[in-house]
Amino acid sequence: MFSSPQIILFPGFVNAKYRSMKAVDVAKLPGAQGSLARSTTLGRFIEQYCAYAILACCAFAGCGRTEFPFRPNELHAASLVRESGDMDPKPVAADAAKVVEAWFGTPDAPKWPSDLVPEDTTIVVMEEVARCAGAVGRAEDEIERGLFRKHCVVCHGITGDGYGPAASLLAPYPRDFRRGSFKFKSTPVGYKPTREDLRKTLTHGIPGTSMPSFQALNQSPEFAEDIDSLIEYVRFLSIRGEVERRLISKAVREGMALDTKEPEAQQIAISVIQRWKDSEGSSAAIPEPPSLSDSEMAESIRRGRDWYANELTACVKCHGPEGRGDGPSQDYDEWTKDWTVLAGIDPKHPSEWKEMKPFGALKPVLDRPRNFTWKSFRGGGEAKDLFQRLVVGIEGTPMPPIARAEGGNPGLTDDQIWDLVHYVLSVEDDS
Amino acid sequence: MNLRSPRPKRFWAQPWFWAWAVTLFVFPLIWVGGLVTTHDAGMAVPDWPGTYGYNLFLYPLSTWLYGPFDLFIEHGHRLLGSFVGLLTIGLCIVAWRNDTRGWYRWACLGLLLAVIGQGLLGGFRVVLDARTIAMLHGCGGPLVFAYATFLALAASNDWMRADQTIEPRGLRRLATALLVFAVVQLVLGAQLRHALPDLPPTGFMSLVHLHLTMAGLLTLVILALAWWVRRLPYRLHQPLRGPANALLGVLFLQLGLGIATWVVNYALPWTEVSPSLARYAIQAKGYWESLIVTGHQATGSLMIAMSVWMVCRVARRQAQLVANSHSYTISERQVVAAGAK
Ligand code: HEC
Ligand code: HEC
Repeated sequence: MFSSPQIILFPGFVNAKYRSMKAVDVAKLPGAQGSLARSTTLGRFIEQYCAYAILACCAFAGCGRTEFPFRPNELHAASLVRESGDMDPKPVAADAAKVVEAWFGTPDAPKWPSDLVPEDTTIVVMEEVARCAGAVGRAEDEIERGLFRKHCVVCHGITGDGYGPAASLLAPYPRDFRRGSFKFKSTPVGYKPTREDLRKTLTHGIPGTSMPSFQALNQSPEFAEDIDSLIEYVRFLSIRGEVERRLISKAVREGMALDTKEPEAQQIAISVIQRWKDSEGSSAAIPEPPSLSDSEMAESIRRGRDWYANELTACVKCHGPEGRGDGPSQDYDEWTKDWTVLAGIDPKHPSEWKEMKPFGALKPVLDRPRNFTWKSFRGGGEAKDLFQRLVVGIEGTPMPPIARAEGGNPGLTDDQIWDLVHYVLSVEDDS
Repeated sequence: MNLRSPRPKRFWAQPWFWAWAVTLFVFPLIWVGGLVTTHDAGMAVPDWPGTYGYNLFLYPLSTWLYGPFDLFIEHGHRLLGSFVGLLTIGLCIVAWRNDTRGWYRWACLGLLLAVIGQGLLGGFRVVLDARTIAMLHGCGGPLVFAYATFLALAASNDWMRADQTIEPRGLRRLATALLVFAVVQLVLGAQLRHALPDLPPTGFMSLVHLHLTMAGLLTLVILALAWWVRRLPYRLHQPLRGPANALLGVLFLQLGLGIATWVVNYALPWTEVSPSLARYAIQAKGYWESLIVTGHQATGSLMIAMSVWMVCRVARRQAQLVANSHSYTISERQVVAAGAK
């Protein structure tokens, strides 16, 4: 009936954000032949006036915003200047935010500081970052954008600071990527997670916490690449946030000028980025688990229990004699200690820590050692996962890595570590 | 005000039929709309009223059915919405020709305007991509649903039948309060659902607390209503039993769905309590998960519709008294006493 596409094409209204893309992208649409670009003058007229009317109503109600800036790291600034007493943390945080914005852009238009470090896909793939940034939706090229706001922002926040709307109602709190430390990874303490580590977190989620599994995305072809993109965005946010943090530290402690031209500041950015580059491929080697007969396994578990109670490993101190996570040593994680213990604040006293609330602090909560009787392991429940946890520790938490006997260093041999793993897996609830 | 209208013979010439048709199609429309939000598919199609430059009704079927899922539901939502618009036009025509009550005709026209307004809001939600409009659109849906339910009820047998009973006045107030609370609760829910990315955690927490308090209040009001209705003498009890039981059912369903919605979105914060909580990992965008979340939202609308049902049944019986008051003088106590025999 309609032979020519011109008849069936409809001069509708297009979201303003996408209008600029139109000229290029619309041409790619089969049969679309630029009809969107041709929305009629009358159409535009009506559209403009309705838009103004509705926007006026929204402005009246105080809403209708679509742009959200990165949040300056006031909490870090506040915890550093607290000692000196008279300094206001807000200007420092704002200055640092300005420098970082010049290098890394905004949540709607992220960019790479190419004049410091050339764009390098082994560090961050900026094309994928762009796909995760901005508001949720598809433009005329039918590519979905705004993945981070679609999937992550309620918990991790626009800035990736773990201060999303729902954050205070979750336990543990969502990760603040800006510290640059991650818990469940294959690399030693002080190194960044690999892409594989982040992929594992995103596909399996972290059981026992609010961090969801995004496995469903893998299962439908149209979303299959979303996890890859999100991984790049996490890396990007973490780099951006850590640069900001270190700038603030150096500015407060050593009086460094907060300026994009400042060589020291540039050096900070370069070294943070370099760290991510160096970390890929630094994963600790994990041997294949030994295959044991039943009696050998019982023997291994018995040895493991001895190691567990041994002073050398100190496991009991935190995880308790029966592995219920009720040992005498109970502590906070590093994200919390940064602005409490290190800033001279007692996290147990509301009157003290509440001082930091206006800067974005959440109530300090103890990072409890795992209760093994639950048989729920956040970094994965296979023997190999636990071996990895034990040899690299859980960065940012009290859980230390085991000293591994390697190259003449004293420590536990791989077989002894397997004994420990077997013991941890064997702990039952016998009450 | 004339509250009754004679009935034409053919069922499709009765406003009753069309009003129910609208109501029955608005409910799935709310579901699909909820799915659109659950999957953040509101911006899956960047233009409006066209779809990727095509006229709404001429967007190629194969691209729609086999295209990306978010595009599928967003375009489907638009198609279903247009269909509801057509049904509403049908309702207006039939009411205008066959219903003798002037106010009813105008009310039908009002529904048409509401449906059109809702469509426009949906369109501007896309063109401007403003969260506020998304929220208005999200709250408008259930209100249209409640409105359509009211029109269906106002054309029903129960409404037309002369039934000279009256209710204790408090019952009517309680039912009205329920309706108001249910709408407020829905708005709070929409606020939670459309929380802006930079809403501070304290703001979100207050919303959650308000939503929970309101849930408690609604539970109390519905339990009180149900208890009150049970205690009424048979003649009064009989017509109110339906809505009271429906409200109870919807209430328990909704409480369950509410808890489930929290769990599949945010998990429970007390992993220390039981191993099953400690082992649970949320499945983002899972099939059951989206069904639960969308179901919680749709059941919220259902609760409003059930409240409208209750209010209509109760208020109608009082209106009857007013309408007939020139020929009757009857005290509340007499009727209750008569019913009790
Ligand atoms: C419902 C809340 C929630 C959502 C949504 C969410 N997260 Fe998380 N995420 C968490 C919590 C809570 C943690 C901290 C878990 C812990 O400390 O054990 C976390 C931790 C993480 C970590 C750190 C893992 C590690 O090894 O330290 C990464 C990376 C992460 N999330 C990425 C994402 C990405 C990307 C998305 C969106 C696709 C996302 N999260 C969505 C709650 C959430
Ligand atoms: C200083 C205290 C401390 C010591 C010592 C300690 N742990 Fe932990 N452990 C923790 C804390 C805290 C966590 C939870 C970290 C988190 O997820 O935030 C943890 C978590 C774990 C987990 C859970 C890993 C997962 O994937 O969920 C295992 C297994 C574990 N520890 C085993 C051990 C063993 C075996 C030892 C002795 C070699 C040990 N821990 C020593 C504090 C400690």
